[in-house]
Amino acid sequence: MFRYNFKYELKSLLRSRWLLLLSLLLLIVVLFAGYNGKEKVKERTQELKNVVLESNTNDAAMALVLDSIESGLQVSVNPRRMPNAPMNVAYNYPRVAAIPVAPLTFISTGQSDLFTHFIKPSAYGDSFSLDYSELANPIQLLFGSFDLSFVIIYILPLIIIAFSYNILSEEKEYGSLKLLASQPISIYQWIVQKTALRFFWLTLITLAVITITLLFFGFDFKTNFSAFLQLISLVCAYILFWFTIVLLVNLVVNNSAKNAVSLLAIWVFVILIIPAVVGQLANSFYPIPSRTKMITEVRELKEELSSKQDKILDNFLRDHPEYASKDGNSNYSFWHKYIASQELVEEELKPLISSYEDQLTKQQNWVRLWQYSSPAILMQQSFNNLAHTSTTHYQSYRNQVALFSKEWRNFFKPMLYGNKNFTTNDYKKLPSFTYEPPINSSVLLKVVVLLIFSVIFIFIGKQVFVKKIKKGTIIS
Amino acid sequence: MIRYIVKKEIKEIFRDGRFKISALIVFVLAVVAFFVTFKQYKNTAAQYNEAKANERKVWESQGAKNPHSAAHYGNYVFKPKSPLSLIDQGVDKYTGISVFLEAHNRNEAAFSDAADQTALSRFGALTPDFILLYIIPLIIILIGYNIFSKEIEGSTFFILKSQGVVGWKLFIGKWLAALIPTLVIATVLFVVAAVALTSLNDFGLFEWKEILALYFVYVLYYLIFTNVVLFISSKVKKSGIALVINLVFWVLACFVAPKVASNLADAKYPYPSHQEFNEQIANESKQGLDGHNPWNEESQKLREQTLKEYKVDSVHKLPFNFNAFLMQKSEEYQAQVYAKHYGLLKEKAKKQGGVYKSLSTISPFLPTRFLSMAIANTDYESHWAFTEAAEEYRVGVQRFLNGTTEKNAKYNERYVAPADTWSKLEEFNYESPTFSEVYRQNTSVFSVLIIWFVFTAALLFFTNKKY
Repeated sequence: MFRYNFKYELKSLLRSRWLLLLSLLLLIVVLFAGYNGKEKVKERTQELKNVVLESNTNDAAMALVLDSIESGLQVSVNPRRMPNAPMNVAYNYPRVAAIPVAPLTFISTGQSDLFTHFIKPSAYGDSFSLDYSELANPIQLLFGSFDLSFVIIYILPLIIIAFSYNILSEEKEYGSLKLLASQPISIYQWIVQKTALRFFWLTLITLAVITITLLFFGFDFKTNFSAFLQLISLVCAYILFWFTIVLLVNLVVNNSAKNAVSLLAIWVFVILIIPAVVGQLANSFYPIPSRTKMITEVRELKEELSSKQDKILDNFLRDHPEYASKDGNSNYSFWHKYIASQELVEEELKPLISSYEDQLTKQQNWVRLWQYSSPAILMQQSFNNLAHTSTTHYQSYRNQVALFSKEWRNFFKPMLYGNKNFTTNDYKKLPSFTYEPPINSSVLLKVVVLLIFSVIFIFIGKQVFVKKIKKGTIIS
Repeated sequence: MIRYIVKKEIKEIFRDGRFKISALIVFVLAVVAFFVTFKQYKNTAAQYNEAKANERKVWESQGAKNPHSAAHYGNYVFKPKSPLSLIDQGVDKYTGISVFLEAHNRNEAAFSDAADQTALSRFGALTPDFILLYIIPLIIILIGYNIFSKEIEGSTFFILKSQGVVGWKLFIGKWLAALIPTLVIATVLFVVAAVALTSLNDFGLFEWKEILALYFVYVLYYLIFTNVVLFISSKVKKSGIALVINLVFWVLACFVAPKVASNLADAKYPYPSHQEFNEQIANESKQGLDGHNPWNEESQKLREQTLKEYKVDSVHKLPFNFNAFLMQKSEEYQAQVYAKHYGLLKEKAKKQGGVYKSLSTISPFLPTRFLSMAIANTDYESHWAFTEAAEEYRVGVQRFLNGTTEKNAKYNERYVAPADTWSKLEEFNYESPTFSEVYRQNTSVFSVLIIWFVFTAALLFFTNKKY
C-alpha cells in the first residue's frame, strides 16, 4: 500500500508542479542568501589580507632598520619610530589580532555586523576598552541581513505550512476522505505516510539546494565535512519538527482555513514571540550596568592616578625590584610611569569591567537554558555557532585580545625597565595572536531535542486521532 | 444599509474565538511591551541626567591645568532619549549613547545596547513598535482574510444579495468592519502611550503634534493593509488559500523586503570598515598642520605667513601665543578633514537611504518604518544630528581652550590656567530636530505611503464595483 501511496503522492505533486515550483523558489532564495553572506565574507577576508600585508611590510622595514643599526650603519628614521627603543616597537608596530573567517561563516550573519574582526592592540591604551564596534549603517543592523539562517529559520517553515496546511482537511472538504476510508488502509497510516512523503521530498530538495549553494560558493566538503553534517542534520530535524506540527494541526483542527490560522499562530509564537520574550527577560533579569556610569568611574580613577604617577612608579619598582635600575640612574621616561600606572588602572578597574562581561555571560546562559522553548532560538544559536558569529565567539575573542594585549606589554617591560635595546633577536621572539574558537555545545543534543519534540507531536496526534475515530469526527 | 453590514460583521468578528484569543494576546503583549519599555525609558533618562550632571562637575573641578591637557582630558556628551522612543525605539539600540570629545580626534558614539546584548536581541524585541508594525497587521489578516470568501463558502452570499444590498455598500460595510477592531486597538495603544508620556515629569520636548502624526502614519499603514487583505479575500474564493496568500504578503512586506533592501543598499554603497575609515583620515591629517610638531612643513609655512602678516621677525614678538595659535590652526585643519570624511560617509548613508526609499514602493512596511522612526526622533538622521552637534561643540571647546592659552601666555611658556577657567565653557545643549524639520525631510517617504494607500484603495474599489 505504501508503494501506491508513494506513487500517487509523487504523481500529484509533479502534476501540480508543486515540486518544481518549490525547488526553483528555494534555489533562488537560498542562492541569493548565500550570495549575500559570501559577499560579506569576501569583504572581510580582503580587508584582513590588506591589514596583514601592511603590517608585514612595516615589520620588514623595521627589521631592515634594526639590521642596519646593529651593523653600525647610520639610519634616517623619525626618532619616535626608531625600532631599537623597545617602546617604539611596542607602540608603532602592533600585531594584528584577528578573528578569522570560518568555513560556514557565510550562512549566518549573527553578531558579525556589529563588531570589527581585527584589532591592533599597542602598548598604549586600555586593554579593556578597545573599540570593537564596526562602522555600519544602523538601519542595516536593525533590518538584519537576508542570510541562509533567515531563509531556513523563517521562510522554510512558511513553505511547509503553505503547501501542507490542508493535507488532511482538503481531502475531507473534497469528500475524497470517505473514498479513502473505504480503502484497506488506516487513515492514520495514510496521513502519516503522506506527511512523511512530503517531508522526504522537501528535505531532499532543501538539502540539494543547500549543497548546491555550498558548492557554488566554494565550501570545502572534505575538510569541513563534520560542519556540513551538523548543518544538514539541524536542517532535517527542523523540517521534521514543522511537518509534525502540520500533521498535528491537521489531525486536531481539520478545517483548511482554521488549520492555516492555527499554523500561522504557531509560527508567530515559535519564531517571533518566544524569542522576543526570552530576549527581553534576559535583558530584564541581567541588565547590563550603566555604561555612562562606567565612563565617569574610569575617568575619575585615571585622573586620580595621573596626579600620583611618580608615587605609583615608586611603588611599582618596590614591588618589582627586578625592574629597578641597577646603576642608580633614575631618569624615568613617560613610558616607565605609564606602564606602571596602567597596570594599576587595569587592576583597579577589573571588577567594574568584568561586571559587564559577567552580565553578558549570565544573559547567554539564560538564553542557553531557554533555547529549548523555541526551535527558532535553538536553530539560530546553532547556526551562529557553526558560523563562528555568536555572542560567545565575539566575547571569547575580546577576552583573548585583552590577554594578548597584556602579553604584548609584558614582553617589552623587562627591556623598558632594564634600559635594553630592542634587537633583531627580540624581533624574532615577538608574541603573536592566534584566535582559539570557544568550544561549542553539541549540535547533537539540539538535534535530539528537536526529534523529541517531533516524537511528542506524533504521539499526541495519534491520541487525538484515536479519540476522533471513536467519536467519528475524522471523516465527517 | 452600510450600518447594518458593519454591525453584522463586527458581531461576527467578536463572536469568533480566534479573534478573541488573538486580541487578548495582543493586549497582553502590548501591556508587557509598554511596561518594559517604560521602565527602560525611565531608567535611561535617569542615567542620562545623572551622567550629564556628573560629567559637568568632573569637568569643572579639574583644578589649575594647562588648557591643552584639559583638551586631552576631554569631555563626554550624552544623547538624550527622545520621548517618543517609548513608542518606537528605532535604531537607538544600534547607535552609541555617548561621544567622547577630545583634542585632535572626532570619536564615534560609543556603547550601543546591541553590542551589550546576546544575539537573540537581533530577533526583535518585545517593544511597542514590534506590535504596531508586525503584529497588528497580522490581526488585520486574521479579521479580513475570509471576509468575502466566508459568504461564498457558507453560501450566505445569495441571502445577502437577496436583501437588496448594493455591491459597493456591501463592500464599504465590510471594509469599515474590518478596520474598526484594528483602529480600536491602535487608538487604545496610542492613548495609553500619550497618558504614560504626560505622566513623566521630565519628558523633554514631547509634543502632541508628534504623537498625532505618528498615530496618523500607523492608521494609514493599517488602511493599506486592510485594502490589501480585502483585495486578496475578494479575489480568492477559498478562505485557506486567501489566508496563505495574505500571509505571504505579510512576510514579504515586513521581513523579506527590509532585509533584501539592506543587502542591496550595502552591496551598492558599501560603508568602509572602521579601520579603513580611520586610516583614510589619519593619512590625510598627516599631510596638514600638526599642532604637536612645530617642525612639520605646514607648521613652518604657517609661521612664516603669520610673521609676515604681523610684520615681525620672531614669533616671540607676536601679540599672542604662537604655540596655541598653531594648535588651533591644526585643530581646525583636522576638523576639516573629519568633516570631509564624515560628509562622504553621510553621502553614502543618504544614498543607502535612497535605496530603501525606492524599495518602499514594494513594501508599505518600509515607508511606515522610516516615518515612524523619524517622527519618534530615533532614526539615523537624528543620530547624525546628534553626532554633528557634538562635533560642532568639540570644535568650539578646542577654540575656547586654545584661545585661553593664546590670550594669556607667551610663546614657549607652559601656561597653567586657573581653576575657574573650566566653568566658563558653555554647556553642551542638544536639541533634537523639530517636527517641522522632520516633516520636511520625510515628505517623499510620506508621499510613498499616501500613494500606497491611494493605489490599494483604487485597486480594491475598481475590482470590486460589481461585487
